[in-house]
Amino acid sequence: MSYYLGLAQLIGIHTLLGLSAYVLMLTGQLSLGQAGFFAIGAYSAGILTVIFEVPILPALLAGAVIAAFFAFIVGFPALRVKGLMLVVATIAFGEFVRLFFFNLSWRVPRGDIVVGPDSTNGFREIRYFVANGWSPWEITAFVWTFVILVMAALWWMDRSRAGAVLRAVGEDELATQSVGVNLTAVKVTAMTAGGFIAGIGGALYAHTATYVDHLTFTVLLATFAVSYPILGGLSSVFGTLVAVVFIQGVLVEGLRFMGDWRNIVFGLLIIMAMNLKPSGLFDARTAQILKRAVGLGAQEKSDA
Amino acid sequence: MSDFLLEFVEITQTIGDGLFFGTTYALIGIGFSLIFGAMRKLNMTYAAAALAGAYVGLAAFTFINAPAPVVFLISALASGLIGGAVYITCFRFIPINNHLAALMASIGALFFIDEIVVHTTDGSPLTFPALFDDVMFEMGPYGVRGDLLFVLAVNIVSTIGLLYVLYRTRLGLATRAVSQQDVAAQLCGIDVHRTNAITFVLAGLLGGIAGSMTASAVGVLSPLITVPLTVKGLIVSVIGGLGSIPGAIAAGLLVGGLENGFLYFRGVNERDMYVLLLLFVFLIFRPDGLFGSAIDRD
Repeated sequence: MSYYLGLAQLIGIHTLLGLSAYVLMLTGQLSLGQAGFFAIGAYSAGILTVIFEVPILPALLAGAVIAAFFAFIVGFPALRVKGLMLVVATIAFGEFVRLFFFNLSWRVPRGDIVVGPDSTNGFREIRYFVANGWSPWEITAFVWTFVILVMAALWWMDRSRAGAVLRAVGEDELATQSVGVNLTAVKVTAMTAGGFIAGIGGALYAHTATYVDHLTFTVLLATFAVSYPILGGLSSVFGTLVAVVFIQGVLVEGLRFMGDWRNIVFGLLIIMAMNLKPSGLFDARTAQILKRAVGLGAQEKSDA
Repeated sequence: MSDFLLEFVEITQTIGDGLFFGTTYALIGIGFSLIFGAMRKLNMTYAAAALAGAYVGLAAFTFINAPAPVVFLISALASGLIGGAVYITCFRFIPINNHLAALMASIGALFFIDEIVVHTTDGSPLTFPALFDDVMFEMGPYGVRGDLLFVLAVNIVSTIGLLYVLYRTRLGLATRAVSQQDVAAQLCGIDVHRTNAITFVLAGLLGGIAGSMTASAVGVLSPLITVPLTVKGLIVSVIGGLGSIPGAIAAGLLVGGLENGFLYFRGVNERDMYVLLLLFVFLIFRPDGLFGSAIDRD
């Protein structure tokens, strides 16, 4: 049972990671730096609970705010350039963050052991859940509370004026600018929101895994982050969830018999998906067809 | 000699060695720029294909004990072939104006190639042959490694060769025509897909040379350098100005020299952080790069 709970936690955390890329992709921008914001959230929240012995909830929110702050800072120079240059800039940012934590050593004695990030050896003993006697069920519920909150917030935003503005920027920047929308403000806001969501995901990851090191936050993780909304399509937040369940649940776990070779399947899957359906596997049209086939409303179509 | 002079010699020697290495970054940067120039798209697989080509060359070295020049040649040819395959799988059939889909497909191919390399070599570094690695030239207080000098010579010759193809042959004329205005080029009877495919193979050949030269300068070939080489190639092409070949050359030398400078002053663990910061300095103060034009940026 604990295996399936662990998988459920992983799916929840990766959904947050995917949604952080989803927000920015609504504005038509692709960021390969989400692993960097995820890492900032993971290390910040871990340092807060381990070194400063802060409770999990404030630590998690602080991690998210710090990640959002860095997203905001990176957003300005990075969004002056757009499209492919933004991709390069965000890859560089993600690698910079990874190298920063690769070099970070902050060891503090706690009782008879020394805790804290230990550069190449990683950051061990992020044991808040264990120390406070949380059961796997409670941890899973805690993770999914945040997943549901974020999904609900994004779902609601999509139905408000803010969602319309984001999508308008993604569809046609020139037209949107000409009706008086401040493009930079919209993009930096989306970037900041994405950083916040990735920060929550990272903070949850650090505490469920109890151990993080710089090798967790590579370009591969950033690629996973953007491939969820790309495969799931941008028509709704549920597409991202479906894609995470498909990749992490079916592909990664279901192909366990292939051993390490299954990572190759991930590469092939992206190539095939981009050739067959460049706008995403569950794009607006597929969603319509599914909706009609099931004959239900917009919410239920994710179950199809 | 005084301490100050000794240190000065050491610093200039380090930076000089970095410039030699920079010619390899320049080649990788040129490859990114060539493809960006032709299609306005980024081929993220490029550095991985370059190293995969070097691995094919290494296989020839290991199994049939091929001499070093043959190894370099096989590396270049294999990388050229992989370049062509990447064009067909990741660019040919994806709508021309969907930049991000092609980018994602090529990232998928990057991990596909990387995983194959990791699995066939068990992820461990392998020795790569070099030429003239027992020769050392002395010039006053400075020394130049023979193998690095050979790397430099090969890199310069291949850059000149590429420039010759681009500016003195009909093939190069077609490539430049497609990169300037693909519709007009098509109306003149140029087969755009064929020209793009040739550009990919050409860039791949160059990448294979860069990959095998990097490996022979370092002495080992390891899958660990795929992502750093990709990132550095991208940085070089952005700093030089995306699509600009002279820019890529200048930026490659700049990055190579500064990298060794950072290595000298701050150590190997922090070196790459400063190279990445350099990119952000350029993004803030000169987003078009050294030689780029503002139109090419989107």
